Amino acid sequence: MDGAEEGGLGLIVKLPLAQCPQFLHKVIDGVCGRALPRFQDYGSVWNLKEWLEVLEATTAFIKTAVGKDKSSEEMSNELSELNPEYQETIMKCIKSRKPEIKEALVEKACAMSSAYLQDFDWQLKLAMSSDKLSTLQMPLVNLDLDIVENGAIAPVSIEMNKDELQNLINSLEAANKVVLQLK
Amino acid sequence: MSARFRIGTSLAQACQDLGYTGEVGYQTFLYSSEPDIRALLIFLAEKLPRHSHEDAHQPAGKSAVLQREIATKIKQQLALPWLPPSCRTAAAKRSQSLCRLHRFHVQPLSLAGDSSSKSISPERKEYWEKYLPFVSMQLPHAYSLAASLLERNTSDLSAVQEWEAEWKSQGLASRLSPEEYRSRKRQRLQKRIQDQLRQCRQHHAENHLPGPSTQDLVDMLKTFTVEEGTDNNKGSRFTHAQKFTHRQDPQVLTEQMQRVAENLPKKDTQDAQAEQEELSSLQQQIEHIEQDIQALAESTKLLHLTINKVEEEADKLQKQCDEKANAVKVKKRAVELLPDAENNLAKLQVMVDGSKQRMASLVGQWETHRVRLADEYSEMKRLQQEKEVESSRWMKDVRDLYDKIRAAADEAKRKEDLYKQLVSEYESLPKDVSRAAYTQRILEIVSNIKKQKEDITKILSDTKDLQKEINNLTGKVDRTFVVTDELVFKVGSTFISFSGYWFVCTLTCSVLSPAKDAKKDEPVRKVYKYLAALHENCSQLIQTIEDTGTILREIRDLEEQIETEAAKKTVSNLQKILEDYKAIKQENALLLSRMRDT
Repeated sequence: MDGAEEGGLGLIVKLPLAQCPQFLHKVIDGVCGRALPRFQDYGSVWNLKEWLEVLEATTAFIKTAVGKDKSSEEMSNELSELNPEYQETIMKCIKSRKPEIKEALVEKACAMSSAYLQDFDWQLKLAMSSDKLSTLQMPLVNLDLDIVENGAIAPVSIEMNKDELQNLINSLEAANKVVLQLK
Repeated sequence: MSARFRIGTSLAQACQDLGYTGEVGYQTFLYSSEPDIRALLIFLAEKLPRHSHEDAHQPAGKSAVLQREIATKIKQQLALPWLPPSCRTAAAKRSQSLCRLHRFHVQPLSLAGDSSSKSISPERKEYWEKYLPFVSMQLPHAYSLAASLLERNTSDLSAVQEWEAEWKSQGLASRLSPEEYRSRKRQRLQKRIQDQLRQCRQHHAENHLPGPSTQDLVDMLKTFTVEEGTDNNKGSRFTHAQKFTHRQDPQVLTEQMQRVAENLPKKDTQDAQAEQEELSSLQQQIEHIEQDIQALAESTKLLHLTINKVEEEADKLQKQCDEKANAVKVKKRAVELLPDAENNLAKLQVMVDGSKQRMASLVGQWETHRVRLADEYSEMKRLQQEKEVESSRWMKDVRDLYDKIRAAADEAKRKEDLYKQLVSEYESLPKDVSRAAYTQRILEIVSNIKKQKEDITKILSDTKDLQKEINNLTGKVDRTFVVTDELVFKVGSTFISFSGYWFVCTLTCSVLSPAKDAKKDEPVRKVYKYLAALHENCSQLIQTIEDTGTILREIRDLEEQIETEAAKKTVSNLQKILEDYKAIKQENALLLSRMRDT
């Protein structure tokens, strides 16, 4: 594993030093939950296999470095096969983004369970009529929950009227109370 | 009827509770008179809360304005008829088509902080300066930008608020600095998590059967470690324990083997049979071995127990032995000293005395030490208490200050809002309302009042003049009477020049004058008598006139009273009261009969 990782990381030398920070910051963006760098932009530097390797190795290295809170000596030991300039660039990038990466990793650790809520969205709708009544004017809320289960997002959509929404809010408040007690 | 009465009473009670000083009762409402009701209504109108009126003038804050705007917008859109997509105008398209609706999807953002703060490393600053893209460039879709920014803002805000609330409720009470409080909380939480995990593992080890949730957790942990890129072989202690327990469980092993055997490709029946036999024999073997293992484990346990017991016994014996050895030593020494008993006794005595003295001196030393230390201790304790008191006082002050700050900030915010509101209102007010009209009107009113005042003073002065004249006249009358009286006495038959008052009574004079010559005394007396009678009559007349005046006034008063009484509609009210009385009687009778029936 170690060998593969270094092999992956070793490929970074193919990238010119000037472009290195951009690439690394983009990878870190990916770690933090945004878009990863695209293959189109770096297709001239690496082939597809190398690209995947280098991407995986860099991500893994960044995650371990921040997750284990490694000192700069430890990092440079691991990067000893690279040029000192590349080493410095990588370490600088990691150092500059450390708080963000840490936060992202902590969030990921917090989300450690069989299923967790990633995001939610709601819409308020006004039902003007139904098949029985010509004027109904009933407000309905449509709640969309993005639930991550085994790494895949499973959307759950619920439509509720006022009472049901109140019910849901009450139960969520009760749950929150329990969580607060745990603290 | 009784219900009306009750309502009237409760209304009157409510009015009295509000502080109405006038007379009020159920009759005020049931048999009303105009002035009473008028006074009551004026009082109640004054009591009406003002702020509802003010609210209409100054709705608080931006949120209310926003909400009202939303409401009007929605109302507007609801009023529009629905159009099929092909017929929509541009405005209708905006409000009715769904193409502009996006999901409120949030993505994390990377934002630069305060770069002037010293705690930030130079690398980070460099990143912010050189590589950090604009917020609008960080996201793949432009529409999620607003959502992300809003979410980020609210999460930051709520974090601050939560921290503040917690700090205020618990943090201040713990008397720690914020950092200490945080670190202590972190420790507590970590300990809790560790406890939970340990408990879970123990539970798991006891049960030998992995529950679905824990299994999940283990999987999660495995994936987690892989994801993190840590050494895969190492794993966590937790997974190790898991594996260990798995391997110990022969039941699971055999099951797995069976499954494997089932999955094997079947070559032919014979083979299968042979395999089956082999399998069963192996299973038997396994069972045997299992039984053996169990038996051995039990015997091991037994042996362990016996070992423990034996060790305990050995300890006990060892202790006894030591005690006995000590006793033997003492006795041996005594026996050795026995031959020269006298000397030894004396020596012993000396030694005992010496040690006694030493003891006494030591006790003295100890005493001095002790006293000093005790003093110090009490002093320290006192100081500590003082500090405690001081700190609690500080604590209170801090909390008060905190509250005050909070209140002041709120107040300031409120006032700011109000100010903005008022400014906007002021700006929206029409500017060209001329004050001239108002001032003119006021001036007119003032001049009117002045005129009225002048009239009043004129009338007053007239009245005064009149009174003066009346006084003059009465004085004159009195004086004239006195003068005439004297004259009548003094003058006998001489010619009396009548003046003033006598002009009025020329008739009498003319009657008297010829008689004067005839009899001197007689006419004078007569004159005097007549004079007295005249005077009396005149005063009577005046009295009568005055009486008439007072009576007229009284009449006027009474008329007024009658009018007011008439305004009270006494007669009709009385009739009404009688009717009500009858109605109540009827009701009572009805109720009574109903009661009898039931």
